[in-house]
Amino acid sequence: MSLTALLLAAALGVPFAMLVACLWRPLRDRMLDTLAFAPIPALVAAILGEYDLPLTVGISAAYRATLVLDAPGAVLLGVASLLWIAAGAYAAHYQRGQPNADRFVVCWLLALTGCLGVFIAGDMAVLYLLLATLTLGAAGLVFQDESAGARRAAAIYTGLALGGETLVLVAMVMLTQVMPDGSLLLRDAAAALPTAPQRDLIVALLIIGFGLKAGLVPLHVWMPLAHAAAPMPASAVLSGAVVKAGIIGLIRFLPVDAGLADWGQWLALAGMFTALYAVAIGITQSHPKVVLAYSSVSQMGFTAAVIGMGIAYADAGAPLAAAFYASHHILVKGAMFMLVGVVAASALSRLRWSLLLAIVLATGLGGLPLTGGALAKIAVKDALGDGWAATVAYVSAIGTTLLMLHFIRRVRANHATDAAAAADPGLKWPWLVTAFGSIVVPWALYMGLPMGTLTEILDPKVLWASLWPVLVGAGLAWVLARGSDHMPRIPAGDVAVVIEPMTVGAARVAALFERADRTLRGWAVAGVSLLALAALFGFTLVNR
Amino acid sequence: MNSATWYGLVGALLVGIGLYGLIVQPHALRKILAFNVLGSGVFVLAGVVARRGAAVGLPGDPVLQGLVITGLIVAFSATALAVALVLRLAASAGTVSLEAGRAAPEAPDATGAEQDARASGGT
Amino acid sequence: MTAGIGTPGGHWLVLALMVPVAGLLLAFVAGGRHAERIALAALPVGAIATVAVALQLIETRAALVYSLGNWAPPLGIVLRADGLSAVMMVTTLVVLIAVALFARADFATPAGVREARAPFAFWTLLLAVWAALLVVFLASDLFTLYVALELVAFAAVPLVSLDGRAETLQAALRYLLYALAGSVLYLLGAALIYGGYGTLDLTLLAARIRPEPVAIVAAALMTVGLLAKTALFPLHLWLPPAHAGAPAAASALLSGLVIKGSFFLAVRLWFDAMPAVMTPAAAQLLAALGAAAIFVGSTVALQQARLKLMIAYSTVAQIGYLFLMFPLIIGMPQALAAGALTGGMLQAISHATAKAAMFMAAGLIYAALGHDRVADLRGVARALPMTVAAFALGGISLIGLPPSGGFLAKWMLLSASLASAQWWWAVVLAVGGLLTAGYVFLVLARSLTSTEAPIELRAPVARSREAVVLALAMVSALIGLAAFAPLDPIQIGRPESFNASFNEPGRMQ
Repeated sequence: MSLTALLLAAALGVPFAMLVACLWRPLRDRMLDTLAFAPIPALVAAILGEYDLPLTVGISAAYRATLVLDAPGAVLLGVASLLWIAAGAYAAHYQRGQPNADRFVVCWLLALTGCLGVFIAGDMAVLYLLLATLTLGAAGLVFQDESAGARRAAAIYTGLALGGETLVLVAMVMLTQVMPDGSLLLRDAAAALPTAPQRDLIVALLIIGFGLKAGLVPLHVWMPLAHAAAPMPASAVLSGAVVKAGIIGLIRFLPVDAGLADWGQWLALAGMFTALYAVAIGITQSHPKVVLAYSSVSQMGFTAAVIGMGIAYADAGAPLAAAFYASHHILVKGAMFMLVGVVAASALSRLRWSLLLAIVLATGLGGLPLTGGALAKIAVKDALGDGWAATVAYVSAIGTTLLMLHFIRRVRANHATDAAAAADPGLKWPWLVTAFGSIVVPWALYMGLPMGTLTEILDPKVLWASLWPVLVGAGLAWVLARGSDHMPRIPAGDVAVVIEPMTVGAARVAALFERADRTLRGWAVAGVSLLALAALFGFTLVNR
Repeated sequence: MNSATWYGLVGALLVGIGLYGLIVQPHALRKILAFNVLGSGVFVLAGVVARRGAAVGLPGDPVLQGLVITGLIVAFSATALAVALVLRLAASAGTVSLEAGRAAPEAPDATGAEQDARASGGT
Repeated sequence: MTAGIGTPGGHWLVLALMVPVAGLLLAFVAGGRHAERIALAALPVGAIATVAVALQLIETRAALVYSLGNWAPPLGIVLRADGLSAVMMVTTLVVLIAVALFARADFATPAGVREARAPFAFWTLLLAVWAALLVVFLASDLFTLYVALELVAFAAVPLVSLDGRAETLQAALRYLLYALAGSVLYLLGAALIYGGYGTLDLTLLAARIRPEPVAIVAAALMTVGLLAKTALFPLHLWLPPAHAGAPAAASALLSGLVIKGSFFLAVRLWFDAMPAVMTPAAAQLLAALGAAAIFVGSTVALQQARLKLMIAYSTVAQIGYLFLMFPLIIGMPQALAAGALTGGMLQAISHATAKAAMFMAAGLIYAALGHDRVADLRGVARALPMTVAAFALGGISLIGLPPSGGFLAKWMLLSASLASAQWWWAVVLAVGGLLTAGYVFLVLARSLTSTEAPIELRAPVARSREAVVLALAMVSALIGLAAFAPLDPIQIGRPESFNASFNEPGRMQ
């Protein structure tokens, strides 16, 4: 067994083993403190694993489960495991003493296994299994507080996630119709897609299904609700790592060299629209977690747009660039959520340096020069090209800066009222490590991967192109701070308000069905049905 | 018409009466009787089939005779089981109807009684 | 009549059948508390025979045949076990073992009493259901199947009214009368078939049958009779009160196994006895009823206030799934039909195990709380974690999430429906899964909600019982791993073109 195979097995096996260990109460009670160690094998696998060397498990040619690593997957796997490690350490302190800690641990491990697994899944069945595991774990994490908001958020999340997964399942089965001989490999699926007779339907299903996971408007409605309702460490990983499952799905199934040019344009359009729409809604929100959730929606839309442009212009480097962009977001968003918890536990006087660091991160997301965010923006510049997408990208950078500075203002208002309060070091250290990581790790990746050269980055024109949107955004944020009272009140989840009326309609249909059922269960009606059905069958058997 | 056709019509008539009784009659005992009439009709029809398909020299196909005999036994056992249930139902509820509302529940099951009643359906 | 047509190893079929029958007779004669002991002793012995049959089948890749008295059909009666039978036999055994271990606490004869009615009845009827189902799975002619059908009904009806309450007696009576109506129609159909073709043996019939009026009328009558016994919408009137009113162990048997008996017969009828008669239109009608069952059953299940009624309506919905495979087999190419058949049978197996586990879990909850109102299940997960976990795993199989059997079945049915361009069944499968998720997660969310203080249990629940239920649920949740298996046991013993003959009558030899 090669080293890669061993690492891949461990990446998935260790969290799963810990999950199984939760069956025993004494182990379950101690599991909270070990959560940070679970993703370590995955991190090692991402760093040391070789690409395109699959690990297959199976006893016959009927079916073999496959795990495989490639460049975008490795980037996402590595950075996501970093976040999961930091968030695990954060959770160990945040959840200590809270009720239902054992349920939290089980759901955490479920979500972890699913999240890390989707980045290395090599065939459809494994991918679907891990998506389902991820959904179940994440739903449990959202439900953790059992408040009315958490219940509603969990119900909406589970319903939409399962719906999205069903669409992906149908698309996958449609792909198997045109794939060579019983193969379920994702690689074969992507190769078979361009020539499939129902290509457009399949692509539509995949975009809707994975777009739902990534948060493309209008399928984003669950994100503000779910990310705000979950406990802090869970929000960090949900917004940071879990939504990337949609991104990796789009990368895996939609090949760039397939001639899906119009679909690529549509995806890019939807992504850019999401990026701007989410900013517009986000600035009307006052709860810091909701603001962060909208920022995630916006960034995921942007990432999807990058993938879309890559597909539209057959840019082979687009998937890796998108993964790189997403990986920066993983760390920044995770750090920001952890910051919310730190601020809530500290007095304002102790937060000076943290808030300064947060401002650097926030503007970094918008593209402040020499931060990881700037690198991410430079990396996707080629994929976005020179046309409308590049222009909108500038607008998006302004919007992101605006939104993130709005967040900083809202979170600052959330500080602890007790002047002597200080956050537990167990909460502060993960926040600091993740924050610094979000600045340092992109640099390491940029140098390590074939992304670009140092001279490109330090070119003054490039530096100015990164800086001016940040300045404009900061200016707008200052304006917003002055006029924030005049902002319209939009409920979190914006479009989700249509869900309640739909539920009423559904309830009426359900009542109708119950009445029908009651009528049909009357003896006389059932007796006549018996005879009528016999006649009907006779009739259908005659007609050829 | 020959005897086979005549018996066939009689069988069909019995089946019809049996089905009518089974569906329409509210009293459980009448339903059981209707089932027996229905069964008899089917046996008559089986006999007709036996007559028409009889091998040379035999008055009727022995396989179908076996079928009818087994069917009679099955019908008898079924009737016995059904009558036993009816007796027990009459003893415990004082009424013999398949309509749920008419049966008084034995133990007050305030939470489940209405749901049970609705679920048990009508006659 | 030439010598018998048995295959080596055929005697295992007789043994497998004789064990529960002998046990049944012995239990009835010995009476009292011996019934339980005999039932528990018969299960391992029957297991040996069942496993032997399965192994023999896998080794020879052909059906096992045993001709009684060494007489060949049409004079003699043949016991035949192909892959379908073996798979159902093994499933029946697994569910029976779980139910038997679970029911020991509920149906133990009290100390100092020679015989108690309900325990004696339960253990005897358990053996009766087992014996009857084995006859259904092994018989190879329409008349033995009729007798088996009746045996199953007679064994199942008293299980409904074991506790003797008036509502359950009514439910049992309704079940009996409706099932009898169904079986009378079946008998009429069988008589007509014999009149038309001179044989009742499945293999011989398949060769002789033509799409003529007599065959059409017989097929329609027999199919509808079987649908009445399987409670396919809209003929499901008896199921909710019967399955919800029976004691938990009995409900597990009824929903898990008894329903599958008449369903299995429908499969035999359509694909083994009369494929030449069946038209794609009839198959579409059958699956349309199935789709209606899924939609109506799931929606009504969502609105139930009591857990057992919810699970019973879930059974009504899941029975609909079983019939979705019919239009994907009749008139379809061999490879596609084989996949659909495997998918449909996998659905049956995973439903059997999952539903039995869910009913038993509901029984444990009822025993612990004294009620089973869905609205008042708060705190149950903390008090009975294994039970709720079992319910969740069963639910996962019903929804169709991997690695459960329900997922594998859904995948295969989706494949077949998309390959045959009958995409509407794919929509039904997708929507059905979401509706199922609705009521499963409703119950789970309620029970996972924590209360300020741990809830008071009316009676303690033995860990061993919870473990049995959880084990069965885990089996159901892991059946999907069969995807790794090198061979598809369900296809063993299928005739060459088991579904392809409706266009050319008489082509099947």
